[in-house]
Amino acid sequence: MDAAEVEFLAEKEQVTIIPNFSLDKIYLIGGDLGPFNPGLPVEVPLWLAVNLKQRQKCRLLPPEWMDVKKLEKMRDHERKEETFTPMPSPYYMELTKLLLNHASDNIPKADEIRTLVKDMWDTRIAKLRVSADSFVRQQEARQRGEHHTPGLCHCTPALSQKQTNKRKTKTSNQ
Amino acid sequence: MTEELDFLGQDSDGGSEEVVLTPAELIERLEQAWMNEKFAPELLESKPEIVECVMEQLEHMEENLRRAKREDLKVSIHQMEMERIRYVLSSYLRCRLMKIEKFFPHVLEKEKTRPEGEPSSLSPEELAFAREFMVNTETYLKNVALKHMPPNLQKVDLFRAVPKPDLDSYVFLRVRERQENILVEPDTDEQR
Repeated sequence: MDAAEVEFLAEKEQVTIIPNFSLDKIYLIGGDLGPFNPGLPVEVPLWLAVNLKQRQKCRLLPPEWMDVKKLEKMRDHERKEETFTPMPSPYYMELTKLLLNHASDNIPKADEIRTLVKDMWDTRIAKLRVSADSFVRQQEARQRGEHHTPGLCHCTPALSQKQTNKRKTKTSNQ
Repeated sequence: MTEELDFLGQDSDGGSEEVVLTPAELIERLEQAWMNEKFAPELLESKPEIVECVMEQLEHMEENLRRAKREDLKVSIHQMEMERIRYVLSSYLRCRLMKIEKFFPHVLEKEKTRPEGEPSSLSPEELAFAREFMVNTETYLKNVALKHMPPNLQKVDLFRAVPKPDLDSYVFLRVRERQENILVEPDTDEQR
C-alpha cells in the first residue's frame, strides 16, 4: 500500500465544517450527509471537506486533538516511551497534512502544529526502524505492533522483502 | 432513505444465505476486500456478489443523477463519491488481474483441482482471461523461441517455470475484534 492509498483511506475520516451555503440532506451511497445551513457546523468526510474548502464554500474546524498544548504533551510522551504510544487518530499524519495544506487559515498556530506532528512522526519512524532492524536480524517470524498507524505500513514494504529474501537465502544455503 | 440490498453471502458452514446489507456496509466490504487483496501474496477468493452489487449501486446512482434537475453542487458531490468508489473497485480488480497474470499456471491448476462446494478464486470472466492468457503465452513462446529449438527441447512446462506465490512472505495483519484462544505457534525451522 503506498502513501497515496493511505491518504485515500484517511480521506474517509469525519471532520467538522461550517458551510456558507444551504443544501438539503444528501443521500450518498456511503451514508447520509447534511443538511447544510450557513453558519451551522456539520460533519462530513475529509475528501468532501477539502473539496468544499477549495471551492470556498466552507470553513474547516480543526479536530479537537489538533491543539499545540495537547500535541506537545503527546510528542513528549512519544519521545519518552520506547514503544509506540496511542495516536489521536490512526490517520493523524495524513489529516494534519491535508488540513494544513488546504485550510491553514482555519487552524490556529498552523506552523507549530505542523512541526509538532512531524516530530511525533520522526520519533515513531525511528522506533520502527529500530524494531524492524532487530526483527530482521533475529529472523523473527512475527511481531506485534501496538498503536501502529496505517501510514507506518507503507514505510515497511522493504522490510517484508528484506525478511523474505533473507529467509530464501538461508533456505537455499542449507 | 437507506435501502437495503439482498446479498448472497456465505455463512460459516459454507452454505449460501441471503445477507441483507446497507449500501454503506457494501462499500465497507468492498474496501475490506480491496485491502486484503493488496496485502495478500496470493489470489484470494473471488467476490462476485460484492463486485456486482457495487456496480449496480453505481449504475443506479448514475441513472438518478441523469434524471435529477441541474443542481450543480449536489450532483458534483455524488459524482465525487462515485469516482472514489470506482477507484477502489478498479484497483481491486486490477490487483487481482496482476496476480492472475503473475501466477497463471498455478491459478488455473488450483481451479481445475478445486473440490466441489469450495468457492472459486476466479470469477467466470477472470477464468476466461486466465485461460486465454495461458494459450497466448504458450503460442508466443512457441513462435518466438521454442520452434527454433532442437526437437527435444521444444516443450516448456509453465507450471514449473512460473514461480508460485510466496505464501511465506511477510504480511501485515490487523485484529478487528478481540479474539480469545488463538494460538500463534512458536517458530521452528521445520516450518519453512
